[in-house]
Amino acid sequence: MANKDFGLFGQATTCRMLRRRDMLQSTAAGFGHVALMAMLGSLTTGSRASAEQRTMPESGSPLAARMPHLPARAKRIIFLFMKGGPSHVDTFDPKPLLDRDHGKPPPFALPRVTFAAQGSLLRSPWKFRQHGQSGLPVSDLFPNVAQHVDDLCILRSLHGTNPAHGGALLKLHTGSDQFVRPSMGSWIVYGLGTENEKLPAFLTICPTLAHGGVNNWGAAFLPAHCQGTPIGNASQSSEKAQVRHIRNDRIPLETQRKQIELIGALNQRQLDSVRNSADQLALAGRLQSYELAFQMQSTMPEAQNLSDETDVTYRMYGLDDPITANFGRQCLMARRFVERGVRFVQVTHSDSEVQWDQHANLYQGHTKNAAEVDKPIAGLLTDLKDRGLLDDTLVLWGGEFGRTPTAEGSNGRDHNPHGFTMWLAGGGVKGGYVYGATDDYGYYAAVDKMHIHDLHATLLHLLGLDHQRLTFHYAGRDFRLTDVAGKVAHAIIA
Amino acid sequence: MPCRTVFAGRSSNRWSIDNERLISTVHVVFLACFSTISIALLRADDGQADSEISDVDIEFFEKRIRPILVERCYECHSGNQRSGGLSLESREQIVQGGDSGPALAVDPGRESLLLQAVDYGIADLQMPPSGKLPDSDLVALREWVARGAPDPRLPPKNDNASVPLSGMSLQQGLEFWAFRPVTTPQVPEVQQWRWVQSPIDAFVLQRLEQQGLQPAPPADKRTLIRRLSMNLTGLPPTIEEVDAFVHDQSVDATEKLIDGLLASPHYGVRWGRHWLDVARYADSNGLDENLAFGNAWRYRDYVVNALNHDKPYNRFVQEQIAGDLIPGANQETRTATGFLSLGAKVLAEPDVEKLVMDTIDEQIDTVGKAFMGLSLGCARCHDHKFDPLTQRDYYALAAIFKGTRTFSKEKFGAIKYWYEHSFSQPEELPAIQQAEAQITAAKNAANQFKSQTMTSIRQQAERDAAKYLAASASLRPGMTLGQVAAVAEPMGLHPRILYHCRSHLEIHKHADFFRGWHEMLSQPQRILEHFESLFSEVQLALQEAGQLDPKSVTLGDPRLEQARRELQDPSGFLVVPPQAEYAMDSEQLQEYHRLLDFARKIESQAIDHPQAMGVTDQSTVDQLAIHVRGSHLNLGELVARDFPAVLRTSTVGPVFPEGQSGRAELADWLASSTHPLTARVIVNRVWGWHFGRPLVATTENFGVQGASASHPELLDWLARRFMASGWSMKWLHRLILTSSVYQMACENPNFELAQRLDPDNELLWRFRRLRLDAEQLRDSVLAVSGSIDNTLGGKTVPLRNRQFVFDHTSIDHTKYDSPRRALYLPVIRNNLYSLLEQFDFPDPTMPTGWRHSTTVAPQSLLLLNSDLLVDSAEQLASRLVSSHSDDSLRLNDLFQSLLARLPTEWESQHCLQFLGQFYQPSNDLSVQPEFKPSEENWPHQADLHQQRLVDAWTLLAQSLMATNDFLYVN
Repeated sequence: MANKDFGLFGQATTCRMLRRRDMLQSTAAGFGHVALMAMLGSLTTGSRASAEQRTMPESGSPLAARMPHLPARAKRIIFLFMKGGPSHVDTFDPKPLLDRDHGKPPPFALPRVTFAAQGSLLRSPWKFRQHGQSGLPVSDLFPNVAQHVDDLCILRSLHGTNPAHGGALLKLHTGSDQFVRPSMGSWIVYGLGTENEKLPAFLTICPTLAHGGVNNWGAAFLPAHCQGTPIGNASQSSEKAQVRHIRNDRIPLETQRKQIELIGALNQRQLDSVRNSADQLALAGRLQSYELAFQMQSTMPEAQNLSDETDVTYRMYGLDDPITANFGRQCLMARRFVERGVRFVQVTHSDSEVQWDQHANLYQGHTKNAAEVDKPIAGLLTDLKDRGLLDDTLVLWGGEFGRTPTAEGSNGRDHNPHGFTMWLAGGGVKGGYVYGATDDYGYYAAVDKMHIHDLHATLLHLLGLDHQRLTFHYAGRDFRLTDVAGKVAHAIIA
Repeated sequence: MPCRTVFAGRSSNRWSIDNERLISTVHVVFLACFSTISIALLRADDGQADSEISDVDIEFFEKRIRPILVERCYECHSGNQRSGGLSLESREQIVQGGDSGPALAVDPGRESLLLQAVDYGIADLQMPPSGKLPDSDLVALREWVARGAPDPRLPPKNDNASVPLSGMSLQQGLEFWAFRPVTTPQVPEVQQWRWVQSPIDAFVLQRLEQQGLQPAPPADKRTLIRRLSMNLTGLPPTIEEVDAFVHDQSVDATEKLIDGLLASPHYGVRWGRHWLDVARYADSNGLDENLAFGNAWRYRDYVVNALNHDKPYNRFVQEQIAGDLIPGANQETRTATGFLSLGAKVLAEPDVEKLVMDTIDEQIDTVGKAFMGLSLGCARCHDHKFDPLTQRDYYALAAIFKGTRTFSKEKFGAIKYWYEHSFSQPEELPAIQQAEAQITAAKNAANQFKSQTMTSIRQQAERDAAKYLAASASLRPGMTLGQVAAVAEPMGLHPRILYHCRSHLEIHKHADFFRGWHEMLSQPQRILEHFESLFSEVQLALQEAGQLDPKSVTLGDPRLEQARRELQDPSGFLVVPPQAEYAMDSEQLQEYHRLLDFARKIESQAIDHPQAMGVTDQSTVDQLAIHVRGSHLNLGELVARDFPAVLRTSTVGPVFPEGQSGRAELADWLASSTHPLTARVIVNRVWGWHFGRPLVATTENFGVQGASASHPELLDWLARRFMASGWSMKWLHRLILTSSVYQMACENPNFELAQRLDPDNELLWRFRRLRLDAEQLRDSVLAVSGSIDNTLGGKTVPLRNRQFVFDHTSIDHTKYDSPRRALYLPVIRNNLYSLLEQFDFPDPTMPTGWRHSTTVAPQSLLLLNSDLLVDSAEQLASRLVSSHSDDSLRLNDLFQSLLARLPTEWESQHCLQFLGQFYQPSNDLSVQPEFKPSEENWPHQADLHQQRLVDAWTLLAQSLMATNDFLYVN
């Protein structure tokens, strides 16, 4: 029961949600201070702070929330990642000419390199219907998400460069498909810190370990505290997903408390004998890291514990149905984390078969996949809105690429990084709005093209970060999430 | 064709062929105008442009062209913004063009790049990038070019001022310290000469004396032996070793200790790991497709052996770059070339040329960073922004690697294989072939089981088709799977097939075939009868048709043919979920998983071809084109093989023998004592690995943006003496370790002044306290528990070569519970062992000469909660409890094992108090357990007491392993 928490305040007020959030986000000195040690530790060894290097906030903690460069429209991001590449022409980008010319050879040049051999044009097996006030078309694959179309800002002109899963995942998550670079979540934590220092600032729920794996949430050369913390992985049910080593099955907490007191006493004794301040700082950091670790053993399970949610909420996310329960639980956890001030939460939809990768049997595969996520996503949007969180939470939906309008084999579609759809909701973007377009058949992005770098620039902008100023000096030069590219799509901002 | 005349003067066949091809590809509109353009261009080149533009042309430009340029192009191509080096601010600049060449054709045989770009004809050059211009703009631009691109705009005056500065000139570069030859500094004179045990002490002391600082006093012997032992072998000293050293009063006790540690095979295990950081060593590819590097261990063992045998460093360098080419090449030296092959590669990159150039880039970047401390990779797309390294330099090196083979001709589906040197003997082949046949058979068994099971599920569904349709009538659309299952299961139907059937009926409400179903919705029995008879007619008709023509699959009767199509359509109303997990029942699934698991295990354990990752020569590449902006689709000027100009050690250019890649010459050049960087870069790292801070803080960047040396004379003196020693690493270690600098304590009584003048301890007024790195921590924990296995070498990654570590299933089968040294734990890219990852193991895709040392909460979680710590503490506790009968003896043993010292009185008191919370610290056997076990499990009183003792000591030992005293080397 959500109301249980309000009891602590003794009264229900009109801004109860805000108060609940304030309470959930109450910070302790712990995490930030510890990570500060880490940062000082690495700064003293010759990496030069550049002019734009994000400076410490006054509290002295690199994880403490800090002022963005620009007025921010969003404070946090939930990224609903559809691993494998959902087809845009079957979901949010209807193509009447594809219907008309079904079975004909494509009347346009194919890219120089394609992943698999391309057949003739393949019409979508789903009908598109108009929804909401905006009347935007959504296919029958997403009947529940379609109810939220007036909150969606559909980006129909995404394009990337890499036609293989691994490269495309890395490109989408880090901006580079060739080098190991910090993930976008890490950049955002580096830029903004977090609103709750008792929890990791960047969480990724059930991520896939294939196709880039940890690099997709890694901090690369950014300070260690910017790294994403995985909860489980794609091979596990979200019910079992946990942060590594969050529990000790053999030593009860009260016994461990005694251990921590002993460690603390011994460390303090040693610290008292240390005279130089560099070592004092490093050793004190570890002293405190035990307190934080001990705290996390209760804050993480608390945030992941869904038993205080109402039946209504359970049903809203589809937790009552085995088809939707797994992804629904991930979405509900994401809501609980953002509510507690986590800056970046990724939710991955990935199963043992590369999920959305329908080289064959498009109809069966996409039907199954959409059925698993449609209701939970709609539930998440409803819930965020009801709680007033959607105003400053940006939801991003999409895969690493789209799929070809041409057939692979008789009934599948190949990878298509040349034009595909993602959508945004909340966090300062226009609702019921379409940005950009692919060509008449949906193969190439054509109007207001949005490269992955442009998407990153736009996401950072919405969070109040200037992608050209969010830099980190490493190995002799300044690095950016957007490398040397990136244009903000101002048109989508509400 | 008017354009022919332009080429009249050129008669060679090559030209006319090019010509034909071009003409066939360019626009018809454009074709008619070639001659006009060429004339216009000539006119412009004569410098007569502006004044002769007609009013009509000016009006055309102002009305049609300038708005396009201003609105759609200027943002990136005017003023200081010159994407791709191109400015569109004047005709002159357009003709001059950018990195891809002139935007308006100078060569009349080519279509202007400007038009190609706006036409969106080339996938890699599409302008404006945000979307294609409207057709009316395209027509206008074509007409403008056809008119000769008349343009009234004048080029900006201060053109050169706005060109961004790039790099430093060659001349400036030759003056930069790192590119100058290694100097010969004199050992400085110092006042406190008694402190000087080794020449390096004089260099350090001189700087301290200049600042009025005193070095710290020497560390005590217990601190020193733990420091040396951890440093050279990665293991804590045993109690016996500590005692022996403490009691050895001879003057050369420390030297003997150092010699003994350097002679231990554990030295290679510890210091080999340092080099593996630089070599970005891993046992799997990572990046896009994570295949096992099943033979990488041979390179790892090569490194350990090279260090243990003190292989001269210059030879070590040569073997890793050209071990297949140097005189006396053998299995060992060929294995060394694995260095060039260990990088992470985009194995499923469909564009092979891109893959090759990306791999070469990784090799150049790694060679640059590892051996020269240079970021050569920065010059791939443009001249280096800071260092005197040009794109020419880059492609001159790239030509050497282009003549080198890194990929095998074999591949697996979309996944390319890397090349390996084969050392196999013919008699080994049958066993390998047998193993491979077993793998194939096991995989086939799983696949066959799946396809047969899926087929039988499908066939059963088709037999039950009418039942599915009838059952659907009792379901509402949008019911949950659970609700559907409640209907399906009693009827023996498959819940997911039924679930799909119902939604298919809803979506295809208006389809002819299902109209009847919707009409009969309220009468399931009628539906059943109707479709049962229809489908049995179909079956009958199919049998009949089959008798006439066994290949026949369609039916003549249109009504039956429609029913057959619907029934057999794999995306019709009967759909079997493609995932085994959803299609099969639990028994089938169990069998399928058993078969899959069996296949995986067979493969993991199968013997590998005796091969080593490495490179070999392929066709010689004398010259390679500069890749404009790093793109293999945009080729520029050709450059010949060479070494970077700023690093040339001779006025005579290198001579590359015919028929070879040139790697042997590259290796010789790097290994030469005249190379300004090779020795400096390695002695700097060695210094850093001993002291926790290198002399040049940026170990992989000695360029302009790198840090400057804290002790430049010392660096050069070390480099020179290192070369003079025959590039002996062990000589260098001895020199450093026997110094007073290395043997200082961590605390300096005069810290206040020192801290004020030099807070970072750059001048070395005390020894820097060092946190154990991941391997030291893990091996120490196992060593003190007595469970470490010190076996050297051999394959340890539990995967067959090129087996998927984990594919899309994300299940990691790699285990890290081996008691072998941490060096031998698999290094799995994309999913490192959590202990390694948390304790700052470097990214195994980038050369790393110096590791970070962070303090984050997940480290504490691991120390508190991981099995490794609790299990090891328990083993240690068992030994303590069984080998001593007295708590104070146990405590002494514990502290000596973990910290190489005895506990202080304060520590003893606290630890005993801690234990007292769990049992009476006495030998009183009457102590009662806190819980009452069941009657049958009632253990012997003494056993129970023993268990409680071990538990309490386990908690204490684990706590001590988590203290700073254990986690740091003082």
